Amino acid sequence: MLELLPPLNDKNLPWLDVIHPIVVHFVIAMALITVVFDFLGVLTKRRNLFEVSFWNLVVATVAIFVAIIFGQIEAGLANPYGASRDILNYHSTLGWSLAGVLGLLTGWRYVVRQKDPTSLPSGFLVIDAVLAVLVFCQVYLGDKLVWVYGLHTVPVVEAVRSGALS
Amino acid sequence: MDLLIEIASPINDIVDQLGANDLPYAIPLHPNLVHFTIGLFAIGIAFDFAGAFYPLEKRVFRFLALPVTRTGFHDVGWYNVLACAVITFFTVAAGFYEMLLAVPLPGIRSVIGQNAIDTMLWHAIGGVALLLIIVAMTIWRGYQRFVWRKDLGRQVTWLYLGCGALILVIMGVHGSLGAWLASEFGVHITADQLLAAGADLQEVLP
Repeated sequence: MLELLPPLNDKNLPWLDVIHPIVVHFVIAMALITVVFDFLGVLTKRRNLFEVSFWNLVVATVAIFVAIIFGQIEAGLANPYGASRDILNYHSTLGWSLAGVLGLLTGWRYVVRQKDPTSLPSGFLVIDAVLAVLVFCQVYLGDKLVWVYGLHTVPVVEAVRSGALS
Repeated sequence: MDLLIEIASPINDIVDQLGANDLPYAIPLHPNLVHFTIGLFAIGIAFDFAGAFYPLEKRVFRFLALPVTRTGFHDVGWYNVLACAVITFFTVAAGFYEMLLAVPLPGIRSVIGQNAIDTMLWHAIGGVALLLIIVAMTIWRGYQRFVWRKDLGRQVTWLYLGCGALILVIMGVHGSLGAWLASEFGVHITADQLLAAGADLQEVLP
């Protein structure tokens, strides 16, 4: 059964490059720009910015589920070592939690928008700030996995395969 | 790091302030800013497509009882591309700073057969070109929004949308070069640089 799966390359992936960081562009950029446009909308009283932030929030929410699917596959193939095991666990837990947070936020926003697309409850800005903090933490954890621990990079995969790293 | 010391370069003056990843800080900035450049441009163009095809979609949205306006979609297209143009100056600036400090692993070729310096130079030229293209697209988009097409429902021309789609393909290739600089050439990746220096990761990486 396992031999039916595609062979893994020198990055321990069944595809050319990691896909999770590509999908994540749309979660990070859209979630954070939502917060920026919400605040700008309130400060400048430009109500059409709420429409911009709403649609960016929708994109972030859809994208996070795609990001999680690829994230889980690539995490399973990542061979984490040392402290990166813990970081990967925190990153996965926070990733699923963020899907919940984004889902709830989009749901709330949808209901608010159905009533009046030009208004934003002030409490929403507080949750926006919480969302931004969570996204920053999640990006920091993901960055550590790539830029410090080098998961799915050729030299680290080689070291793991040769038994020098476990 | 040893490679740097052998070459006469002003970087040698700050070499003792750099970490194992050849940067004065642990996490590179450029790849994080890239999320915004790519995400905002792609979704900006996507929503202008949604605005352009609005007559086809509006029945679907009515069926879903989701109130949408064509102006709303075009607002997303305009503001996202505008934000992308602003942020991309920082993306390119951070990219050049981190390129100056890059120490690619020697003797490696990427999947398309390029060596490290060629990959890096193409990525740098592409980055400047894309910045100019993004700024030009934003100005073009602004003129369409506020002057040429301000009284029309479809705020963008098909040519603008076609150019946007083409630029996204170029961005994909350009982004792949950048991704290989990390995943193949180990640029600014602490673990890869330590392995190349012969360190035992189990001891030096906490």
